[in-house]
Amino acid sequence: MSLFGGLEISASALTAERLRMDVVAENLANAQTTRGAGGQPYRRKEVVLQERAGSFGASLSAAMGQQRGGGVEVAGVVDDPTPLKQVYDPGHPDADENGYVAMPNVDTVTEMVDLIGAQRAYEANVTAMQAAKQMFARTLELLR
Amino acid sequence: MLFDTTQLALERAIEGAGRRHEALAANLANANTPGYQRVDVDFHGTLASAVGRGEEAREALHAVSFSPARDASAGAVRADGSTVDVDAESAKLAANALEHQAAVQVAHARIGILKAAMGTGA
Repeated sequence: MSLFGGLEISASALTAERLRMDVVAENLANAQTTRGAGGQPYRRKEVVLQERAGSFGASLSAAMGQQRGGGVEVAGVVDDPTPLKQVYDPGHPDADENGYVAMPNVDTVTEMVDLIGAQRAYEANVTAMQAAKQMFARTLELLR
Repeated sequence: MLFDTTQLALERAIEGAGRRHEALAANLANANTPGYQRVDVDFHGTLASAVGRGEEAREALHAVSFSPARDASAGAVRADGSTVDVDAESAKLAANALEHQAAVQVAHARIGILKAAMGTGA
């Protein structure tokens, strides 16, 4: 049934956008972490999204009544390679011989903008889901 | 014949709107995918050409298949090359849902007429 495909596509986006929000939360939580994985300062993480594998071919075959695909998936969570921030704080236990501490390359403003973007995308997909639900319910009205 | 070509066309329109919803939902799902090219289903065009076949319209409507196609005409609206405009997609989604509702209601009314003619209610 075609409309369940629509629900599944929107659901894949909800999963992806929720992960983006989780990663933003992780970045914000670790904005001051100087001892991350491997003893190195924390590096900002970013979610890479991609169209769900072969979704175009899958939706083509779906049009012919076969297995369907579509939607979005997370290709990976990658570290942001931009340089760490050097902050002068000689009293910090992780300061180098010149008194500089390497702080995470997390910019709070960027994270907040990403958060809002992910939130709005989430809402748009919820709306699409509600539309699919209503369309399905209306089609059932034909039986009455 | 109990169901005429109009009824058949309505059924196919309901199906086509469902397919189009899938394509538009996929566009919204990929709103943050870099370089994504939007897809759409031109079910109006497909149905119009089938209905325009005159005598063969019934067979043509039965054979109709709705396939999503990349919208090559859409220009990039984002720096990452994506052609998905969330507002435009949402508007298309809402319009498509209304078209679906319209087709369902007309189909429902026509079934009601048949029921009345058969004396089984409505």
